[in-house]
Amino acid sequence: MVTESIIEDEHFKLLTFLIVSARGCVEEPPIYGPLRLIDAAEKLIALMDKMGKADESLREIMKTIHERKFSVMKDEAEFIKLLDELVLKISRIIKEAR
Amino acid sequence: MEPEELLNIIKGRRSVRSFLEKKIPDEHLKLIMEAGIWAPSGSNIQPWQFVLVREPELIRKIKLVSPGLFGNPDALVVACVDRNRYERAGKLGYTLSLMDVSMAAQNMMLMAYSLGIGSCPIASFSKLALKEILGLPDNFEPVLMISLGYPEKWPSPPERRPLSEVVYVDGYGKHYRG
Ligand SMILES: Cc1cc2nc3c(=O)[nH]c(=O)nc-3n(C[C@H](O)[C@H](O)[C@H](O)COP(=O)(O)O)c2cc1C
Repeated sequence: MVTESIIEDEHFKLLTFLIVSARGCVEEPPIYGPLRLIDAAEKLIALMDKMGKADESLREIMKTIHERKFSVMKDEAEFIKLLDELVLKISRIIKEAR
Repeated sequence: MEPEELLNIIKGRRSVRSFLEKKIPDEHLKLIMEAGIWAPSGSNIQPWQFVLVREPELIRKIKLVSPGLFGNPDALVVACVDRNRYERAGKLGYTLSLMDVSMAAQNMMLMAYSLGIGSCPIASFSKLALKEILGLPDNFEPVLMISLGYPEKWPSPPERRPLSEVVYVDGYGKHYRG
């Protein structure tokens, strides 16, 4: 049996990201808190996708995060606009769910 | 070299956060490291110690504890300040050591850029975790990482505050009009 190293495990990667980010957020610029959360969301969707749990709308959210998250370093207002858009996108998924 | 050439290198360097899967030649890494150690340092104390990380598995491990490290770089430079050295500079030693190591980092990133290699300075990592993973001695404090690799694309430059806002001439108040 081939056992995958724990450091290659996608859940473990997300776990370490969350723990280390939690500590980092104590001292980092406050706006990096939202950045880490949204980055974790991107990683989580990638993980859901691998497990066959992400549909097109979730993949769209992942793509949007990937393409626009670095706006945090260029234009904070643009980054906050991105967060609003993501909230709206996820709300639509919730609304349409049955 | 024309002054414009140097300014173009300074202006063209970008923080790169996505890399191609392509190896950086050893001799280019050596040039980058050499550019680092030729930085100035307060009293020439050279408080820096660098760990050049090339082993892919080790890079993956470091990435796990570095939320600010984006993409998959081919190499990493972990820049540390050495307490045993900066303490010689007295009370100011630690502050100066951060300035010194920053200058070394900029030298490295400019050299990388001139070789077509992308880089990103990274402060968002766990010092505690990094010390543990790399087995750094107590007197070494990792303060900045530099990721290195060939860029997937060069990002567009983030804006800079204009000279007229950040430069005063002959004291506070008179804005530079250059
Ligand atoms: C001290 C320092 C720490 C930085 N830390 C990070 C980091 O952890 N992650 C990151 O992606 N960028 C980091 N950066 C890069 C900056 O975000 C970047 O330099 C800035 O947005 C300007 O972009 P440019 O380097 O392309 O000109 C850091 C830069 C400096 C100088």
